[in-house]
Amino acid sequence: MDGRYTINIRSNTAVLIFTSVGFKTQTISTGDRTVVDVAMVSDVSVLDELVVSGYGVTPKRELTGSISSVKASEIGDVPLQNAESFLQGRAAGVNITTNSGNPGGAFRVQVRGVGSINAASEPLYIVDGVQISFSNLSGQTSMSPLNQINPNDIESIEVLKDAASAAIYGAQGAAGVVIITTKRGRQGDTQITAKVERGVRESSLDVNYINTDQYLEYLAEGYVYFAGGTLDAARANRKAALLASYGSPNGDGELANTNWADYIFGTGLSTNYTISASGGDAKTRFLMSAGYENTEGHILDDQFQRISVRANIDHQANSRLSQSLSINLAKTFQFGICQDGTFINCPTAQAFLEPSFTFPYKPDGTYNNLTRFGTSGHPLVTANEVDRNTDYYNILLSSRTNYTVNDWMILTGTLSTDMRFLKDERFDNRIANPTRGGFLNIVNREVQNYQASLVASTTHNIGGKNNISTISGVEYRRDFSESVLVTADGFPGTFFGVLNAAATPTSAGGTFTEYRFGSYFTNIKYNYAEKYFLALVARVDGSSRFGADKAWGLFPSISGAWRISEENFFPVDAFDELKLRAGYGTSGNSNIGNFASIGLYSVAGSYNNATGLAPAQLANPLLSWESANELNIGLDYSLFEGRISGSIDAYSKENENLLFSRPLPSDSGFGSITENIGSVKNEGLEFEVQTVNLNRGGLVWRSRFNVGFTRNEITKLPNDNTIGPQSNFNKLEVGKPIGIIQVAKWAGVNPADGRPMWYDINGNITYTPTVNDLREYKDGVADAVGGFGNSISWKGLSVDAFLQFSFGQWAFPSSEYYFSRVANQQTAMTDIVLDRWQQPGDITYYPRAYLTTTHVNTADYRTQLGTHSIFNASYIRLKNITVSYDVPTRLVERVGLKGVRFYSTAINLITWTAWPYYDPEVAANATDIYSNVTAASYPTARQINGGIEIRF
Amino acid sequence: MTKLKHSLFVALLALGVMSCEDILTDVKPATALTGDAVVNSAAGVEALRASMYSKIRANFGYTTLYLLGPSALADETRNRPGQSRFDDLNTNSSTDGRTSSLTEWGGTYSIMLDANLLINSIPDGVVPAATKDRYRGEALAIRAFVMHHLVRTLGYEPTQTAARGFDKGIVLRTTPTIVAADADNRPRATVAETYTQIRADLAEAKTLLAGVTATNTNNVYANLNFVQALEARVELYAGNWLAASTAAQAAITGSGRSLANTSAAVTNMFARASAVETIFRITPNANTEQIGGSNVNNGPAAYTSDQWVAQIPTQKVLSLYEAGDHRLGWYIPCFNRAGNAAAAGCPTVNTGGLALAKYYGRNTNLSDDLHYMRLGELYLIWAEAAAKAANDPNAGSAPLTTLRTARGASAIPAGALTDMTAFENFILEERMRELIGEGHRFYDLKRLGRDIVNVDNSVKIRADSYRMLGFIPVGVITLPGSLITQNPGY
Repeated sequence: MDGRYTINIRSNTAVLIFTSVGFKTQTISTGDRTVVDVAMVSDVSVLDELVVSGYGVTPKRELTGSISSVKASEIGDVPLQNAESFLQGRAAGVNITTNSGNPGGAFRVQVRGVGSINAASEPLYIVDGVQISFSNLSGQTSMSPLNQINPNDIESIEVLKDAASAAIYGAQGAAGVVIITTKRGRQGDTQITAKVERGVRESSLDVNYINTDQYLEYLAEGYVYFAGGTLDAARANRKAALLASYGSPNGDGELANTNWADYIFGTGLSTNYTISASGGDAKTRFLMSAGYENTEGHILDDQFQRISVRANIDHQANSRLSQSLSINLAKTFQFGICQDGTFINCPTAQAFLEPSFTFPYKPDGTYNNLTRFGTSGHPLVTANEVDRNTDYYNILLSSRTNYTVNDWMILTGTLSTDMRFLKDERFDNRIANPTRGGFLNIVNREVQNYQASLVASTTHNIGGKNNISTISGVEYRRDFSESVLVTADGFPGTFFGVLNAAATPTSAGGTFTEYRFGSYFTNIKYNYAEKYFLALVARVDGSSRFGADKAWGLFPSISGAWRISEENFFPVDAFDELKLRAGYGTSGNSNIGNFASIGLYSVAGSYNNATGLAPAQLANPLLSWESANELNIGLDYSLFEGRISGSIDAYSKENENLLFSRPLPSDSGFGSITENIGSVKNEGLEFEVQTVNLNRGGLVWRSRFNVGFTRNEITKLPNDNTIGPQSNFNKLEVGKPIGIIQVAKWAGVNPADGRPMWYDINGNITYTPTVNDLREYKDGVADAVGGFGNSISWKGLSVDAFLQFSFGQWAFPSSEYYFSRVANQQTAMTDIVLDRWQQPGDITYYPRAYLTTTHVNTADYRTQLGTHSIFNASYIRLKNITVSYDVPTRLVERVGLKGVRFYSTAINLITWTAWPYYDPEVAANATDIYSNVTAASYPTARQINGGIEIRF
Repeated sequence: MTKLKHSLFVALLALGVMSCEDILTDVKPATALTGDAVVNSAAGVEALRASMYSKIRANFGYTTLYLLGPSALADETRNRPGQSRFDDLNTNSSTDGRTSSLTEWGGTYSIMLDANLLINSIPDGVVPAATKDRYRGEALAIRAFVMHHLVRTLGYEPTQTAARGFDKGIVLRTTPTIVAADADNRPRATVAETYTQIRADLAEAKTLLAGVTATNTNNVYANLNFVQALEARVELYAGNWLAASTAAQAAITGSGRSLANTSAAVTNMFARASAVETIFRITPNANTEQIGGSNVNNGPAAYTSDQWVAQIPTQKVLSLYEAGDHRLGWYIPCFNRAGNAAAAGCPTVNTGGLALAKYYGRNTNLSDDLHYMRLGELYLIWAEAAAKAANDPNAGSAPLTTLRTARGASAIPAGALTDMTAFENFILEERMRELIGEGHRFYDLKRLGRDIVNVDNSVKIRADSYRMLGFIPVGVITLPGSLITQNPGY
């Protein structure tokens, strides 16, 4: 691309400054020359990148805290629905786990470990300055409020990881802060980009279930064990029993051999259109985009649809006043299915709840009611006769006014809102729920989340080398949510799912809740000659949630940096940049409940027809936020003109004042009070490396790698008593990590008689372990999480492959374990049972087949957990691989276009894991802290897309 | 200077935004109120009063267990074969016995919390002074009532503490728990201290409730005559005979009520519309105010005369009535109306196959009014206390005769008036005839230092057994910092 310019200058001492984004700024004295040609040099130094930090941007070189930054350009054309998913594997120390693989499903995002026990929360998400509300989300399907943003609009995502960075967000910063910035227009010709994408989505992992013959064989062996006799007789006996219960699909006396997974898992189609226009002149710049996405899930009729429109406009009214507007209007629609759990009408569980010998339809084409869980638990009834629609309308708006007071101060006033209207609608028709004659349940949910802030930014230079800048401001936030629900029963036929068609309205209800924040904050940054940096942050937060005596919290931090490479004495030329950072600060977690601190009287009972109000909660005027005190030491480096760059961070974070309920003397009339009691400590090490391995002749090969190691330890509990000392998965003990697992130790299968064996606490074989035999065994903490990416580009062709990994997490797949491994529930069994003990001398992992009773004098193999029940949830995923081709400009320009690009991309193409079920990503919900139990969650899908992008 | 001006301007603007604290704290929960809002509004005070009574109504330990437990643990009722409700009390199962199940620790203090708020926390002017006096009086009466019930399950009576060598009563809480610091760990007061507090509460209540007599409108709340009657009961337990006798008479006279004296009137005295003897009752709405959480599962009618028909009057009790005693109207043939099915097996408990119908779902929906204090008991207290005060059976014969005459019973047999032991035995029998299923039998034996006996008069719990007292819930004792000592033996 050539840029031509003409400029009139009067003096030969003029200096021309050439800048362009992505290139090094060049300053050239014109001298006597009339032609000054400049070849711009690519700016490879990532340290000059601008990083969005709290209430402003900072050149990476000036950063004193720990911030991970992910640019959209690094992610490319990945077909994901929300911003959290982009971050997965890309920011060291940020552990992101899907808790549902449905398109648009939520993620659990843990920044630097689990920092809370009873007040676990999501990080604070900020989109173009708007703090996003997580209140009042859908009650029937997994979703994220960030679904409302078209991923194509995202410019960058920053994660404020340490307290020194997050302290500016005070009581909302302890779980980390994720700042999402959308693209904005740049001065220049209007560029229109259109993008069309199609793709397919399917299961990323399969589970093999045994067929009916194999099942009968198992049952026959179990029957012989139970009742004696020959195997043939037992087989005939069991077959007759199954036929009596479940019938024959063709009436020919043969059992069905159904693969239910075929009915539940399928292929979803995905379509995505985006068009955007951006450009502007010296006064006004704009970006406008519109997008439509329709992605079908790979389970039943699950679906995600988004229509979104964005306008980002920046206008410079005069030399002092400028105005910016960011507005995002979006509607998403999700056809959800129930997930997470062993509910008989949840498709993900139905895949193993229905055995092969049941079948979906009777010969007359109606639903077969003789399935394992009858009509109501029939996967196809769930698929066809139940509607779960979630409509979500959202306005995300941020209006910003900048006023340049003088040459050193700018005032910025911001008004922003995240308004939501969400409707959950569930209709089970008469077939799905005959006892109620069908029912309709509608919940309307509304969130009004407003913020206003006024910020003054100043910059000073004293004596040339002393640079002081400040950001100071006030902010106010309200988050009000309200819901109204109605239920009606009795619908004629299966047609009308509207309230007017219902015979009986059965219930109506509604509630509301609210919280508010008021804050003052200041961030003072000083540097000397861009060599020594010091930053002080203080935020004072008040909240309606805090106790009266703790109404205001102070969240300070101090951090500094030293650019060693700028020192004259620093001898290593290879380093373009070497910077040491250190910071210590305090941030808070205010997710303590909206009304946990005040004394409450609740409506409780009535007497003589007068409603009673009874004291329900004791006031705790001292109830406060949980606080995170964190020390972070980091090193940023760049070597060989940016060929190798990255950062190393070590942190130690102590989360204190964790909420626990402290039991009170019951003669006080109260059972307990919520107080700030516990502590938990997270320590970790994070590495981020980017390299340019090859840059020759137009061939560029870049790599990037990051990994975060985490260690978690509980340091204080109420009275330091262990909570749940005999709990398999939820024990909390000082000195141990959250999520420790304790089960009996598995001793294998007795080769003599095929009985399962465990060890008791003394190491002796036992067939009936008790709670006294529990041993600590593994935990749900993913010790090492990260990602590794490579991109190679050559003349418009580029290939990008990104692997994401998680190591060290172990978990119990509860539903799958309880319902797909034995026959006594008559549910499907996986092929693990094929390796079972059959005769004396067999050395196997799986014990002798048994029926409804247990093995003789032995604990029930189904429910007696042991180390054999706990599986390694480590995995490496080929998270995405993209191949794209930019058609050469000379060809494109001939047809009047500026650019054409073809691409194909796949997500979750390959997963390497020892996990035996559908998905090794284990998080029960968005705030799961134990991470050691999963229950038939909606597994992550694989998706392959192809697309074309045209710029004109 | 300009710099300074600008800085000042910004600072002022910032302060202006936040100067009004309300914008942070003016946030209300949807279905709850703060304490201030409750005690500072008339509607809130009414609701708090309703809560206090509602808690009694909703608490199994203050309804069905309160009324039937002492009968089942002693010898007045036994379970119908195949029924398990209160079977444990009948058999006094478990090593430690089942006296502890009569102890309603948490529920008592929950009721006391409401009472303490009404007593201490209502500012003047929120409700009219007379109303405030009345509600405070009611709360003091209810506090005394629940304290007395708790202390009789956990401690010995004041007359016995010395002999038994154990004098612990209950934890005294006379101020409301408003902030966490109020919920301090406290030791148990002695029985004597507990009674002192009860007496003080009753004395104050008496003043505050002056003029509020036990009419059928007033007797659904605590009232003056209930306070007098409770004083009579408390002093009877304390062995202050004269005081008990005086208080009983004051209650009877003051209430203006008179004994039911026809077969129909006696039979129907537990019905809401014809509760002629009632001094204090709880009157639940049959549909919306479930007894003990669930009429159908936990209500006294479901236990005795319908649904489960679980606790059946023993032949021992039925044999105590003369033919023609109006009180036989309280017994009906066993039948499960709710299930419209025979309730088989009753004849194994009493020969007539009868059920006790003091509670019979008279308010529909298996709900009944619950009568905590009525004239019958007061005449019996008067008779017993007057005789013991004078150490002469004849001193108690007049009120006893009045009661028996009204009930259609014959004159007191001469043998009962020969000495005080005979008289006490006869009073105990009369109390069984009159008060079965109203929460007395076990405590009557206990307060008189007698063994708890089975139907065949074999000893079930010796008077000197530690099992005569219940125990305090283990969690209360093990709570860090707890100062509460467990009862001996547990």
